[in-house]
Amino acid sequence: MAAETALLEVGVMFAAIGAVGFLAGRLGLSPIPFYILAGVGLNEFVLGAAGLPAVSNGEFVQVGAELGIVFLLFFLGLEFNLDRLLADRTRIGTAGMIDLVVNFGVGLAVGWLLFGALLPALLVAGVVYISSSAIITKSLLDLGWIANPESAPMLGVLVFEDLVIAVYLAVVVALVSGGGDVWSAARSVGIAFGFIVLLLVLVAAGTALFERLLDTPSSEYFILRAVGVTVLLAGAALAVGVSEAVAAFFVGMAFSATEYVHDLETALSSIRDVFAAVFFFWIGLVTDPFVVVGAADVILLLVVLTAPAKLLSGFYGGRAYALDDRRSLRVGLAMVTRGEFSLIIAAVALSGAGGTLPVETAETIYAAAVGYVLVMSALGTTLMGASGRFERFLPS
Amino acid sequence: MRVYESEVPGVGRKFELELTGGTSAVVVVHHDGRCELFRRDGPDADGEKILDLKGEQANRLGSILEGAYFESVDVDSLSVPLGEAIIEWVEVGADSPVAGETLGSSKIRTETGASIIAIQRGEETVANPDPETELEPGDLLVAVGTREEQAELAALIEGST
Repeated sequence: MAAETALLEVGVMFAAIGAVGFLAGRLGLSPIPFYILAGVGLNEFVLGAAGLPAVSNGEFVQVGAELGIVFLLFFLGLEFNLDRLLADRTRIGTAGMIDLVVNFGVGLAVGWLLFGALLPALLVAGVVYISSSAIITKSLLDLGWIANPESAPMLGVLVFEDLVIAVYLAVVVALVSGGGDVWSAARSVGIAFGFIVLLLVLVAAGTALFERLLDTPSSEYFILRAVGVTVLLAGAALAVGVSEAVAAFFVGMAFSATEYVHDLETALSSIRDVFAAVFFFWIGLVTDPFVVVGAADVILLLVVLTAPAKLLSGFYGGRAYALDDRRSLRVGLAMVTRGEFSLIIAAVALSGAGGTLPVETAETIYAAAVGYVLVMSALGTTLMGASGRFERFLPS
Repeated sequence: MRVYESEVPGVGRKFELELTGGTSAVVVVHHDGRCELFRRDGPDADGEKILDLKGEQANRLGSILEGAYFESVDVDSLSVPLGEAIIEWVEVGADSPVAGETLGSSKIRTETGASIIAIQRGEETVANPDPETELEPGDLLVAVGTREEQAELAALIEGST
C-alpha cells in the first residue's frame, strides 16, 4: 500500500515546516521564505539528486497547496472591507493607482522585453506588482509602525491591491487555462466573469442564507459547514476553468457580511496557517534550484528594476496621504516586500506549461518568481528594519 | 477625547486614543485576543511598544483600568471556608424579587444549590429557618455553598438572572 510511505512523506513535510517555522520565529523573520527553502531542500532536485529519498510531489501535497491558496484568498475576502475602501476612496484610490500604474507597467514592459508575448508579460507584471500583505503586516507590528501614520497608506494600498488581484487572477487564470487562440481566450474570460457575477449575486443576496448556514451552537458543525461551502465553490470554479482563488475570495466576502466574521476568523485561521504553509512548501518542492540559478539574470533584472519602482510608488503613495518625506520613504521601503500572491501567480504560470505557455517560458517565469520572492521578501524586511539609515539621507 | 478605530486586515483592530499634550495611545487587538499597546509622544514621534499581552492578561488589565476588578480580598464580604463550601452573607434588597416570598417559594435551594442556614433580621436571628419563613427586605441571609452556588444566590437575590 502506497499510503504507508505517503503518510511518512506528509509527516516529514509537516515536521520540516514546523522546524523551519521555529527557526524563523527565533530569528524574528517571516517564515514564508523558510517554508519555501524547506521544500527546496527536501525535493527530488536536491535530496533526490544526492541519492536520498526525497519528498515527492504527491496528490496530498498538491491538493494541500491548492487548499492553502483557497484559504489565503478566503481570508482576504473575509477581511476585505469595501466600506473602508469607499470611505477613504480618494486617498486609497490615488495611492493605489500610482502603485498599479508604476509597478504593473514596469512588469509588463520587462515581461514583454524578456518573452515577447502578452501572456508571459501579464504574468511577470502580476508577480512584480503585488506586495506581500502577510510579511508587511507582520513587520508593521514588529517595528511598531502600526501605531504611526505611515501604516494607513500601506494598509490602504494593500487593500487596493487585493481587489486588483482578484480581477487579475480571474482574467489570467482564464487566459492560461483557455485555448491558444483569441476566441477560446475570450470564451474562458467570459466564463470567468460569468462565474464572478454569479458569486457577486451570492455576496449581495446570500447574507441571510449564509447566516442560517452558520447558525449552529456546535463549533464542530460551524467549521465543517464553512469549510464545506468554501472548498466546494472553489472546486466548482476550478472545474469550469475559473480561478479557485477568486471564488474563495468572493465566498470570503459573502461571509464577511454575516455576523460570524469574528467566529470564522478564530475558527479557520489555524486551518489557513496549516495549508498556507503546505502551499509555500509545495512551491519549494517543485522548484529546481538549478533552474532558479539559471534564471539569475532574469531575477537580477526584476529586482534592480522593481525594487526602486515600488520605493518610488510607495513614496508618492505616502505623499497622497500628506505624509512627510520620512514617513513616505518608509511606505516605499515597506512596499518593496513581495510574497504569497506573487507565488500564487507563479503557480498559475506553471499550470500553463505546455498548454498556453511554452514549457521553457512557464518554467523560467516560475523559477524567476520563486527566486524573486525569496530575494524581495528578505530585502523588504531588511529595508524596513534599516529605515533609519535611509532616513538620514533625506533633505531636512 | 477622541478614539479612532480602524481595521488591520489579517490582524485585528486598531484603536487610537488621543491623550493630553499630543501623546496618543495605540492599541492593536488581534483576532486571537492578543493585545499590543503603543504610545506615541506626538504627531512626529514614532510609536513605542509598551506592552504585548495575551488575551487573558489584556482582559485582566482592562478590568483593572475600568475599575471592575473584584478578585481582590474584600473585607465587607466575609467568608469562612468549609472545605469546598463557604459561608456568606447576602442582603435582601427592597426591590429583590424574593422579598415577600417564603424560603420555599423563592426556590433558593433548588435553583442555586446554596442553603440558608440563618436569617439576621435586625436584632433577631432566625436560626435554621423552615421553608415557610417569609423573606423581608433588609433581611441578611446567611448561606452555605460553593463559590459558584454563592454567586448564583447573589444573582438570584439581586434579581439579575
